Amino acid sequence: MSPPTHAIAAGRACKRCLRRSWLLAELSGPLEYYARDRARLLELLALEDGELLAAAAGRRKSELHAGYRRFASHHSSQREHEQTICRHDPDYPSALSGRAAPHMLHLSGAAGGLATLAARPLVTIAGSRRASDYGWEMARSLARGLAASGVTVVAALSDGIAIAAHSGALEAGGASLAVMTGGLDVSCPARRRTLYERVKRQGCAVSELPRDVHGRRWGQLASERILVELAALTVLVEAEDTAGQLAPARIARTLGRPVAAIPGRVTSPLSRGTHALLIEGASLVRCPQDVLDLLHQIRAFGPNAPATPMLGGEAQRAVGLPPRLKATLERVGAGCDTPDRLTRAGEEASQVLLALSELELMGLLVRGEGGRYVPRDALGGFASPRTLTAPSARRPASETPRTQA
Amino acid sequence: MLARAHTFTIEGIHTRHVTVEVDVRPGLPGFAIVGLADAAVREARERIQAAILNSGYEFPARRITANLAPGDVRKAGPGFDLALACAVLAASGQLPQDRLERVVLFGELALDGAVRPSRGTLAVAQAAQRANMELALAGARAGEAALIDDLQVSVVGHLRSAARVLSGGRADPLPKHADPARRERSRAASPGTATPNLNEVSGQHHAVRALVIAAAGAHNLLLSGPPGTGKTMLAQRAPSILPPLNKAEAIEVTRIHSLLGSAVDTLAVQRPFRAPHHSITAAGLLGGASSARVGEVVLAHNGVLFLDELSEFTRPTLEALRQPLEDGRVAIARARHSAVYPARFMLLAATNPCPCGYAGDDERCSCSEADIARHRRRLSGPLLDRIDLLAELQLERTLDLRPVPLLSSEQARERVSLARARQARRLAHEQVAVNAHMDARMLGEYVRLDERGAQMLRASSCAGLLSARGEHRVLSVARTVADLNDRARVCASDIGEALALRPDVSRGRRRAA
Repeated sequence: MSPPTHAIAAGRACKRCLRRSWLLAELSGPLEYYARDRARLLELLALEDGELLAAAAGRRKSELHAGYRRFASHHSSQREHEQTICRHDPDYPSALSGRAAPHMLHLSGAAGGLATLAARPLVTIAGSRRASDYGWEMARSLARGLAASGVTVVAALSDGIAIAAHSGALEAGGASLAVMTGGLDVSCPARRRTLYERVKRQGCAVSELPRDVHGRRWGQLASERILVELAALTVLVEAEDTAGQLAPARIARTLGRPVAAIPGRVTSPLSRGTHALLIEGASLVRCPQDVLDLLHQIRAFGPNAPATPMLGGEAQRAVGLPPRLKATLERVGAGCDTPDRLTRAGEEASQVLLALSELELMGLLVRGEGGRYVPRDALGGFASPRTLTAPSARRPASETPRTQA
Repeated sequence: MLARAHTFTIEGIHTRHVTVEVDVRPGLPGFAIVGLADAAVREARERIQAAILNSGYEFPARRITANLAPGDVRKAGPGFDLALACAVLAASGQLPQDRLERVVLFGELALDGAVRPSRGTLAVAQAAQRANMELALAGARAGEAALIDDLQVSVVGHLRSAARVLSGGRADPLPKHADPARRERSRAASPGTATPNLNEVSGQHHAVRALVIAAAGAHNLLLSGPPGTGKTMLAQRAPSILPPLNKAEAIEVTRIHSLLGSAVDTLAVQRPFRAPHHSITAAGLLGGASSARVGEVVLAHNGVLFLDELSEFTRPTLEALRQPLEDGRVAIARARHSAVYPARFMLLAATNPCPCGYAGDDERCSCSEADIARHRRRLSGPLLDRIDLLAELQLERTLDLRPVPLLSSEQARERVSLARARQARRLAHEQVAVNAHMDARMLGEYVRLDERGAQMLRASSCAGLLSARGEHRVLSVARTVADLNDRARVCASDIGEALALRPDVSRGRRRAA
């Protein structure tokens, strides 16, 4: 490797790494062809520039070769405000050192974002794009607990679990890191724009492709390897038993990174993949505390790790619930999750509705898709539960923090 | 010689008084009708001439000019025949004129002189009663006119009978079916016997509860659930649990339906239930396409408008529902006419939770989050804001092992009627009669919360579960729940129930982030 050349504009990436990024963008078409075969794509991405050109450029080989040799800094100097960082930089995340790791990253976010974020332990949360309400709540509260304990949450910006993870982390006032499938300026879907802006404000978005390259299928597969490689631990929340949904876990396995999974109901197809992982030996995660324990085990926390992260458990939060509400909450947790099922279990419809809204007000339940209720923060979390005060001891109905010291 | 007769024309569902002036003078024989008359009125010339001759009278071989005043109102339909013919007879000296001033003549003439009924009899009868005049009309619709109190109705089956009545003679006998005693009997017969009953619905207890609450306070209700869960079944049972129409409402409803041409000889008993198909246009829903035809919302006045597959309706159609939902009336302005119609109805809507219908069921739903978000957006804006209650139904694969005693329509209707009576007492000095129509001021004045209830409401606003408008809706629904439970004050359990059935707008946004 050549010595670092900090030459180009505000970006800190060297010309060679910028050229790599340009090359990937130019090869976007041929690489899309390899998107059908994950393993082959990752092998290609592990190749050095020359070999990659030879392997993937096809008929454009000579043209691209000429462009490659003529590659000048003007490609980037036009956009001086751009933040970039390459593997020759001391601040480049040390985790990205694998054979197939990206050579450089385009960044967007708070100043010094990536360095600060990567200094903390990173955990990737991944899973289905079509999450159930259960999966959604699990991912959200896991991310929230982790962010509040000083862990950086890494996730894609795709539907389902990934979005839940980002919103959980941001909710806790923490930072999250979004790995984009294409260029930073163009690959964010319009409906995620608000969330994307928040991620950039509080955390950071990264991509290995130039800013104006549209996200394609191969870009998504390539971003999965960055996701997994960045983090010390990968947690799958809900995933079906398909190669696509389990890809992050498979990549982590090949890299020798630990994988964890949150179990779901055994009959739910959305949890089949995570259950398969658990059988194969992935660590089981029930709450943010489990993840923190795992991080301690793999020494992801530095020497100045917090001794005991602060977490309140579910049992603690349900203390002081009237037996009637407690029974309803337990029944919802056990699968009687609609007003109708609860009524069948032997109560008046009006009583059931009352209990459900009381629990919802306390923040113990949320109403999900199709009128099904989902236990909220069953993992235990940091958000202050909203308490309904008993008539005897009245306090203002504002939020009463119940985090345990 | 000049003669004047009186009749009414129909504009939409309103009536306008029309004076028929006929002048007969020497000149070239001819018959001209002026005064913005449409084709059907101009054709009256031929009918009137034939009817007068075939009834044994003489058609004056002089210059006849008929004027329909006021001249700026369009006159449509054949209902002017009788008045025109009588005015011609009076103007030619074959009839005394004095009684013509006090009688409203309404009917179409056959060529042999027989009088045929015209649509809108009830509205004309009402107008005649207000104008303090008598009404002479054909026997077939006399029953309809007899529904109006304090109105003298003369049945005239033929032009000759009309002449007899106008000369001070007696009218034809009332046909049998218009007999008031018989009508009272049929009105007293238990309503809703032939309609579907609520106790045929198995399970879906909370949806049934939501329907009862909606009926008690005339709240708008959205039923959401996968196909086959009984959304339509529930909605069809809504009329059976609504209280019967009172006299004033019944006349309004009957009048609207009589204007459409359906023969009515008893007052409507059941509240109307209109279920237009989702291919309906805004004009079909509100009315007023070319002629002043009324739309489905007007036909559903005092009753239920059921929109099945809500998300399939076009957006302009749903947007058009805003005004009637807000004001209880619909104002239509077209190039040729403008009109305000009453449209105070309870909206029942049913929809699938997502395009495939199985959202929330991980195994069966095949929609992506984007699909679901799109589906939500279709509904959210215009309409969800005006819906007070949301009941989400689920597909149950297990049998109901513990059948809760079923609520029959009769029981439900009794409870609903009691709750409505409580509301009517409370709102006696207001323009509205039910909780759903209370505005912010009335909510502040009439909805008294107990301390715990107030706290619960405050907590839910703090928790971000409710917007300001949402809070109003929960208050009015909670008031209805308290009325059903016969409580003067709204307590926490009423608020809780209203909260659990609130339409959730924040949820749509949650995942869209």
